[in-house]
Amino acid sequence: MDIEFQKKYIKDLIDKAIEYGFEEAEACFMSSSSMEINILNGEVSSYENSTMQGVGFRGKKNGQMGGSFTSSPDEDGMNFMLKTAMENCEVLDDEDEEFIYCDPDHAHLESIQLSGTYDKNTYDKFASVGLKLEKDILALSPLIKAVDYLSVSCGTGPSVSVNSKGLYSYKDSDYISIFAEARAEKDGVVKTGGHYWFGNDIDKFDHDKFLSKLQKKLLSKFGGSSVESGEYKVIFDSEAFVSLLSTFMSNFSSYSMQKGLSLLAGKEGEVIASDLFTMREEPMYDKALLKFPFDSEGVLTKSKALIDKGVFVKALYNLKTAHKAGTESTGNGFKGAFSAPVGVGITNVVITPGEKDFDALCKWIKDGIYLTELNGLHAGVNKISGDFSLFCEGFLIKDGKISRPVEQITVADNFYDVLKKIIATGSDTIAVPEGKGEYFCPSVVISKMNISGDLEEEGEA
Amino acid sequence: MSGNADFAEIFEEELKSSSVGLLNGKTTRASSGINYGVGIRLMAGTNVVYVYTCDKSEEALIKLAKEASAALKGGKSADIKNLEALSKSSPSILNIDPLTVSKKQNIDFLREASDYAMNYDELITQAAASYSTSNRVIHIVNSLGFNKEESQTRIRISVEAVASKGNEKQTGRIAPGTMRGYEFINEYPIIDKTRDCCETAIRMINAGYAPSGKMPVVIGNGFGGVIFHEACGHALESTAVGIKASCFTDKLGQRIASDVVSARDNARIEGEWGSYFTDDTGRESSDLQLIENGICKNYLVDDLGARRMGCEPTGCGRRQDFTYAPTSRMSNTYIENGKDDPKDIIADTEYGLYCSKMGGGSVDTATGEFNFAAEEAFMIRNGKIAEPVRGATLIGKGQEILLNIDRVGNDLELAAGMCGSISGGVPVTVGQPTIRVSSILVGGREA
Repeated sequence: MDIEFQKKYIKDLIDKAIEYGFEEAEACFMSSSSMEINILNGEVSSYENSTMQGVGFRGKKNGQMGGSFTSSPDEDGMNFMLKTAMENCEVLDDEDEEFIYCDPDHAHLESIQLSGTYDKNTYDKFASVGLKLEKDILALSPLIKAVDYLSVSCGTGPSVSVNSKGLYSYKDSDYISIFAEARAEKDGVVKTGGHYWFGNDIDKFDHDKFLSKLQKKLLSKFGGSSVESGEYKVIFDSEAFVSLLSTFMSNFSSYSMQKGLSLLAGKEGEVIASDLFTMREEPMYDKALLKFPFDSEGVLTKSKALIDKGVFVKALYNLKTAHKAGTESTGNGFKGAFSAPVGVGITNVVITPGEKDFDALCKWIKDGIYLTELNGLHAGVNKISGDFSLFCEGFLIKDGKISRPVEQITVADNFYDVLKKIIATGSDTIAVPEGKGEYFCPSVVISKMNISGDLEEEGEA
Repeated sequence: MSGNADFAEIFEEELKSSSVGLLNGKTTRASSGINYGVGIRLMAGTNVVYVYTCDKSEEALIKLAKEASAALKGGKSADIKNLEALSKSSPSILNIDPLTVSKKQNIDFLREASDYAMNYDELITQAAASYSTSNRVIHIVNSLGFNKEESQTRIRISVEAVASKGNEKQTGRIAPGTMRGYEFINEYPIIDKTRDCCETAIRMINAGYAPSGKMPVVIGNGFGGVIFHEACGHALESTAVGIKASCFTDKLGQRIASDVVSARDNARIEGEWGSYFTDDTGRESSDLQLIENGICKNYLVDDLGARRMGCEPTGCGRRQDFTYAPTSRMSNTYIENGKDDPKDIIADTEYGLYCSKMGGGSVDTATGEFNFAAEEAFMIRNGKIAEPVRGATLIGKGQEILLNIDRVGNDLELAAGMCGSISGGVPVTVGQPTIRVSSILVGGREA
């Protein structure tokens, strides 16, 4: 990647945009390289390697911001972007103004989070880690029949932005991820289970810990049955709670509120959750793999509570939505790709832990359900109303202990009601990668939830 | 193809796209772009190397090819066949090329729907409408001598109406897609369809919660076919069958559905949203019988799957774009017409759930477990459609539900969707006539 070429290309684009008749303009040049290997049946079954680049442009004319993009950063690409962005300005009639921004005290922003170990990420290294992992997963139990999916991947790449107000921002980082899904069979019943690892130094991958987590997730599923429909106390596993929370996170965005798509609109300062629940956004969280000192609009990010002891403190704003609401940006103006417009995004999320560990929580609730997986979150939810009805998996808790797996059940409730029904958080926080950052979340206990099953008269629970 | 490869392929793609979006009558989104890229795929037996870039320079491409070749292990090189003359295809029917139509005209079309929805009823408080069009040109050359180019032009629109009452909000939506030209838009009954969206949203906001438990379920035509797509179609793809990770592995010639069920995957319907004549590996697409009277007839097999399974590819290798290696995917997949009048199916159901409009869902192809959300549903009582209910989820196992389909209507309809899998998101059509499943577990909120 020739960063000097990238800087020059977007600076020229901005100069040309002003000559073209835009009042203000901004451009970003994103590039990336990545590698992924997949392991199947003792071989590297596939290998992928890529280099990608693209330029996103936005220009303002008569109060409207037109956008365009290209993956061909040449003169034709430049002319295409200017022409189509101008056409887009002409057809827009958005009443909410979008801004090009530069804080003179922070006109030059840099965030370089390179591990310095990226050059360890070779084909041979990844292949040996992946092959050993597959072999050892298969050796965990005679019940494990196959590792249907195993990937080791990494990526890196700079993103540079400039605008006509003088902003220059540059960021670069790298990551490695490992994912495996295995299939086991017992008495004709098939179960699948997966686990992942996320980091930036392949030598820090804890092979044995990965194996034991995967083993637990997969083999504990056998011997399950449904439950009788009814109301149950529920302990959410961290990953399951994060999957639910992140599905509804857009409701904390001022964009959704202003478009009438979030029931949290107008509720800043009100109680929306149990007083035992505190959720913060921590862009610079010390335990997070990736840190976010500034957003895609050049605004500095900040640590803040979204929910403080049950009270909804403040929504997430970018420059456009903040202007409409008569407030300041919270540093949450992010764009996901060079081709995407600036939206409202969230970085690292931290749920305040409680005092009891998982075993103590089980003892405390005595009888209930431990939910470990929620399926169909892209379909079985109404993001606006908060209603959800989801196919899920987990375990029955009886007399304060895990008694058996449960399957073929659904949990149906409302997200906003669930927040109010939180009666404890555990002390067992783990980091769950989600979106562009991570969620640091413990087990979460809900006083009651509607569970549907098809066991009619077993007298359980 | 120096080194170990026994197969090499170059995939080149250019995608031009344009979209506009309206919210409550104002144009809040307008975007245009061009994406270009090249992918190189090498195979040695069942091992695959895939490299891609959007750098057009010869130097970058040669570097990429060398990296790909160096990473491939364990094969023996094969002959390279002479390149055929370039052949071009297109499943689009274009009288008016949508990319030549001004954004203003697209906005005027959407505004009609948006204004209608906003004035429909005081319960409708939001209306969102969007239009997007794209032209995708792919060019595939490979060591078998293939030299194919295909052009795919698509249009998709969506209208969403939101009804509000107190703290509650419910939506009704349509999202048709086509490979026909702008004449599709000119002929589209946008007002009728928008009215439908508004009515769904209002009906659902006034509805009580669905019951839970096992019961007979009648699933409406059109997008109801998403269940077959998810719960059965994915499990017939060689991506799963080829590594024996599907609940339908080794089932060819065997009964996997009740005898009233026949189903196809037909990529060759001209102008249909999920169609292609040439797949993303340069092979001719097909019209494939998947199930005939309950018997499993064919799998969807791409070239890698064919190597694993020792059979011929069926021309279903697809990918979202050049950033993905191709894999076996569906196109226009549907349950074929049966003999029943849909009215009789309802009349013969004493108690159950009628899902008139389905939302999306997901499936685990190894276990067959699936779940789907109903976007609009009603109770059936004494053979009649009774009160609307909301929040219903259907859950079960694909292999069981197929065997439990006991009635199939004669009102087949297709509906556009996007399908996500390991080679990205691709346009697909799902479809079915009205069907009845004798028993499915419904997850609702009322006991």
